Amino acid sequence: MTVTPAVVEEEEVEPTKGFQIPPDITQLGIISAVIAVITLIIPGLPAVVRGIGLIFALLWGMDSVRKTSKYGLGTGVPSIGVLAMGYGIVGALLGIAFVKFAEPMLGSFSTVASLAGVLLMGIAGWVSGVLSNHEKVIGMKIPGLERGMMELGLAGSLAMLLQFSIVAGSLNFDIVMEKAISNGLIAVMFVLSMMAMFHPYNACLGPDERRPRTMLCCVEISGLLCLVLGIALAAAATSAWGIADGVSMTIFGAIVWLVFFVKFVRMTMQEAYSTVGTGMIKTIE
Amino acid sequence: MEPILLIIVVCVVLGGVLASLGVHLLPVGGAPAAMGTATGVATGTVMLMLGAAMCGLFTASSVAAFSDNILLVSLSGAIGAWLMMGVTMLVANVVYVFGAGVVPVAGRVEVDPITRQLQTPYKTPQCDGHGVPNVCYISGMAGALLGGFGGAFMYFALLNYAHFEATAAGVIAMGIFVANAIIAAYNIGGTIEGFHDPKFKRLPKALITCFVISLFCGVFVVMAATLGGLI
Repeated sequence: MTVTPAVVEEEEVEPTKGFQIPPDITQLGIISAVIAVITLIIPGLPAVVRGIGLIFALLWGMDSVRKTSKYGLGTGVPSIGVLAMGYGIVGALLGIAFVKFAEPMLGSFSTVASLAGVLLMGIAGWVSGVLSNHEKVIGMKIPGLERGMMELGLAGSLAMLLQFSIVAGSLNFDIVMEKAISNGLIAVMFVLSMMAMFHPYNACLGPDERRPRTMLCCVEISGLLCLVLGIALAAAATSAWGIADGVSMTIFGAIVWLVFFVKFVRMTMQEAYSTVGTGMIKTIE
Repeated sequence: MEPILLIIVVCVVLGGVLASLGVHLLPVGGAPAAMGTATGVATGTVMLMLGAAMCGLFTASSVAAFSDNILLVSLSGAIGAWLMMGVTMLVANVVYVFGAGVVPVAGRVEVDPITRQLQTPYKTPQCDGHGVPNVCYISGMAGALLGGFGGAFMYFALLNYAHFEATAAGVIAMGIFVANAIIAAYNIGGTIEGFHDPKFKRLPKALITCFVISLFCGVFVVMAATLGGLI
C-alpha cells in the first residue's frame, strides 16, 4: 500500500467556510484582545456581551497554546494551558485589587485599572518565557515561546477577569471575593477555562490538525463555560439586570455549545473521510 | 516596607522553589510508562504534582481551621501530599506487576543506589525500565513531602499573613504552585526517575527560574492584598 505524505493530503482538503476572517495568529490576537478589553472595561454590560468577550479571550489563549506546543513541550499540551490559568488567577486578583485602588479616583470607570493587573501578568509571563527559552537557563529552544507565554498570561488574566465580572456583576474587590471566589465558583472557572485553552489542540493534535477545526472545539467548550456561568448567575441573581441576565446567558451558552459541537463533529467526520494514510508525522522547520 | 509583606514574599518564594524541587524528585514516566516501557507512574508531571499538592492543600486547610502553628499546617500538607503519592505509586506498581507482568526496575542506574540491588539484568531489552522500583519510590516520597510542604507553607502565608479567605488562599496557592511545577517540568523534559537520574543535575536552572517567577507572583500577591485592603 502506498502511503501518501501528509503534506500532499493536507493540500487536497478544501478550505472550510467560517473562521476565515482572522487569517493569522497576530491579527486574531489583536482582534480578540481588543474585544475582550472593551467588554471588560465598559461597566454595566449584560452578561451575554461579556460572554462574547470571554469566548474571544479563550480563543486567543487557545491559539497561543497551539502555536507554542506544536514544537513539542515534552510534558504534553495540557501543561501550558494549566500554566496560563495559574497566571490568570494571580493576574485577575491583581486586577480587581487595582480596581479597588482606583475606585475613589475614577468612579464607575475604575474597571480600566484592572488592565494594570493584566499587563503586569503579561510582563511576568514574558520573563518566564525568556528564562525558559534562554540557552543558559532552561533552554527549551521553542521559537516564539516568550511571546506565547506573555500572551498566555494576558489571555488567562483577561478570561478570569471577564468571568469574575459575569458572575459578580462588577469588578469590585469585595463583591468578587464574596460572589465568585469564596463560594468556590472559581474552581469551576479555573477548570473549564483551562479546558477551553488546552483541550482543543490536545484533542485535534496530529498531522492533519487544522486551525479552523481546532478553533471550533475551543468555541464549543467556551459555550459550555458560558452555560455553567449562566446557571450560576441565574441561581445567585447578583446582576443589575435581574434574573433575565442569567437566563439569557444560559440560553446563549447552550446555543453556542450545541451549534459549535454539531459543526465540530461534522467537520471532523468530513475531514476524516478523505484521510487514507497520513504517512510519517510532518516535521516542522 | 513592613516586615509582614516581606514575610509573605519569602513564604511564596519558598513554596515555589520547594514545588520545583519536589517535581524533580518524582518518578514521572509519561506516555512510555503507560506501555510499561519506562520507569515511573504513567502520567505527566503536572497531573502528579497537582494531585499531590491538592491533597496536601486539603489536609493543610483542615488543620489550618483549628491551628495557628505554621509548622503544623505545613507538615500536615506534606503528609497529605505524601499519602497521595504513596498510594499512586503503590497502585501503579500493583498494575505494572500483576497486570502487565513486568518487574519494577530503574533504567538509568545499574545498581540501586539505596538497596544495592542489581537493576540491568531485569530490564527488558530496548526498554527504559519498568514500574516504580525502590529508589524511585523513596525519591517520589521525598518529592511529595517537599512539594506538599511548600504548597501548604504558601497557603498558610496567604491565609494568615495576607488575610485572604480560605478559598481564595487555596486557589491562589494552587495557581502559583502549578506555574512553578510546570516550569520545573519543562526543565526535565517531561520525564524523570528521581534523584539518581542524570537529568536531576539540571536542578539549579529550574530553581533559578522558579525563584524569579515566584518572586513575581509573591510581589503581585502582596500588591493585591495591600491594594485590596486586606493587610
